[in-house]
Amino acid sequence: MRRPRSVEQPVVHRHRTAAPGRHTVYLVHPGALDASVHRGLAEALPAGVGLTVLDLGGLPEYWQAALTGGHAATTIDALASRLLTAVQVAHIEGDYVLAGWSFGGVVAHAMAGLPARHGRPTRLVLLDSIAPVEDYKHDDDALEPSLLLGWFTMYLGAKRGRPLHLGAERLAGLGVDDGLKLVLEAAVAAEVLLPSTSLPGLRKLYDTYVDGLLRNNRLTNPHQPLPAPVPVVLVKAERSLIPEDRTLGWEPLAPHGLEVHTCPGDHYTMLTRADAASVVASLLDAA
Amino acid sequence: MPAVSALEAQEWLIEKIAHRLGTEQAEVAPEMYFDEMDLDSTEALILAGEIESWLGFELSTTTLWYHPTIKDLAAHIAEESDRRAATA
Repeated sequence: MRRPRSVEQPVVHRHRTAAPGRHTVYLVHPGALDASVHRGLAEALPAGVGLTVLDLGGLPEYWQAALTGGHAATTIDALASRLLTAVQVAHIEGDYVLAGWSFGGVVAHAMAGLPARHGRPTRLVLLDSIAPVEDYKHDDDALEPSLLLGWFTMYLGAKRGRPLHLGAERLAGLGVDDGLKLVLEAAVAAEVLLPSTSLPGLRKLYDTYVDGLLRNNRLTNPHQPLPAPVPVVLVKAERSLIPEDRTLGWEPLAPHGLEVHTCPGDHYTMLTRADAASVVASLLDAA
Repeated sequence: MPAVSALEAQEWLIEKIAHRLGTEQAEVAPEMYFDEMDLDSTEALILAGEIESWLGFELSTTTLWYHPTIKDLAAHIAEESDRRAATA
């Protein structure tokens, strides 16, 4: 039996090398979308600034958990330590900024607190990440299907590069089966999925997506974060995962300052839209 | 459901994959790797859900990774289907 060639993914994706005297951004990517999604950001960065993506999808103990029921035999601190080692190998010279999208921001925050041979980052930039604080630590069953279905809909649209949105009011109170019927209808109408896509097929995709979220939730619950030793910048998407919380819980973890900015798009399309990349790139400029 | 043979599973997979790729069934070779087919992870998982619905039992999500060609997967489905029919 042969294994597919695509199983082993690299952790380090160097999108752009920094020019002498300029800084490098190390951005932690938690999977869900391909790590190549950050190419647009690399192009939007000011001349000379480097971008290296650290893909958690390259760590088997992390990505395999989404395919086997969402239980990862690791911790956030262990993941942070693995990625910091990758940075130590990849980093050439000069200042650096740590960044992370979504759950990647939580891991980047843990990395910022670890002693590093090449010094601390100059700042931590979080892209629509939810802080690992008590308010956002939930049991698995506290994640309501209507909330998850809304996030899944955003994700599907982003995977296909087409806008797809179902208002929270349409999903409110629905269980997974009824909610997925609405998602399928909307996705076919928006040409995100083929008209022949069946509910059982979509259900498998949804279950795997939710297992990825549960994996991150279960990693976050026991995690005891320390305050960030550097200033923190949070970039929220206009249609963030938690629109009603301006700081997504980061205030107590940012004693050296927390700036909050907003960029166009939703949690996923903020990575693919040129107007969002331009906002994020400007915040990654100042090292 | 009676046990599914490797040939039946192979034909079912080729039909579904050809449809998803918008190509003729004759263009889909049983020896092709799934990752050579322009079948992204979204399509692969949807296909896995449809296989399970057809078979009436669950396959591990990693099945497509460990049986990366139509031929390999069809053989695995037949083996699993046989095992379940024998113990039913």
